[in-house]
Amino acid sequence: MPPKNAATNAATNAASRKGPHFKPPRPVKAPAQTSASAKRAQAGAAQKPAASATRPSFQKATEIISSDEELEEDLLEDDDDDPMADAPSPARDARPPPAETLPNPIPAPLLARLIYENFEDPNTQIQKGAMNLVGKYMEIFVREAFARAKQEREMNVRAGGISDGFLQVEDLEKLAPQLVLDF
Amino acid sequence: MASNDAADKEERLKSALWYSIGQYIDEECLTSDLNATPQFIGALTELVYTQIANTARDLEVFSKHGGRKVINTDDVMLLTRRNDALETMLKQELDRMKAAEGRGEGQAVAGAPAKKRGRPAGKGKAKA
Repeated sequence: MPPKNAATNAATNAASRKGPHFKPPRPVKAPAQTSASAKRAQAGAAQKPAASATRPSFQKATEIISSDEELEEDLLEDDDDDPMADAPSPARDARPPPAETLPNPIPAPLLARLIYENFEDPNTQIQKGAMNLVGKYMEIFVREAFARAKQEREMNVRAGGISDGFLQVEDLEKLAPQLVLDF
Repeated sequence: MASNDAADKEERLKSALWYSIGQYIDEECLTSDLNATPQFIGALTELVYTQIANTARDLEVFSKHGGRKVINTDDVMLLTRRNDALETMLKQELDRMKAAEGRGEGQAVAGAPAKKRGRPAGKGKAKA
């Protein structure tokens, strides 16, 4: 039973995480995209009337279907999980999973490009495994920077400083020397 | 003109990095009841960019020192020589990656002979 519960909890967390991120843009995006495709159709109509007339209609259809499917999936997940999971547990567990499932702060292609751009010898190459490891290294670096900035802010508040809950450049300035020494 | 292009390219890369880091920080801020000023994200971008540049140059020199032209994982592990906790974390990641790689290779090897066996049989039937 415990593994099942854990699995359902993870599922609810994934669902609850998905919800707030994906639901708000949908109503806004769907009409915007259709209007954009309609504009494209108008622009394209001047060049190729027959082809452009068929394309937008296909795009609209696929967009609507896909968004409906996603909505249905979300709804189904919620329906399955609601009777199984306790109300407070997802709320409590909601914080750790995002930290694990969050994507790398620096996308792999961007990091690869940055690394290659900064080689002095353009013939230098790097193994794929090594590149992945560098990705992990930079991910830890960014996470650590954020964690230390957060801590710095909390210490500032405790010291009696006025806090509006904003991370400031000064926080980063204080932590940067030690951070760079540690990496 | 060439230096102008290089500076332009650097600016574009920094913009891309700014965007990625901004997204990440915003995401993290949502979960921790905080906010970050745009200046903070900009400064962090500058810090991360410099760190990446330093890392790239370090890795290049490490592999050259080892008499190699291709940077491998040992060079990356050498980056962590002054931080034991970081070394442990990257070692775990490396082991995890190696384990995943080994599993992938095992499947590929297992799948290859099956295909080879299948093809001659198909040819034989076609000829007959």
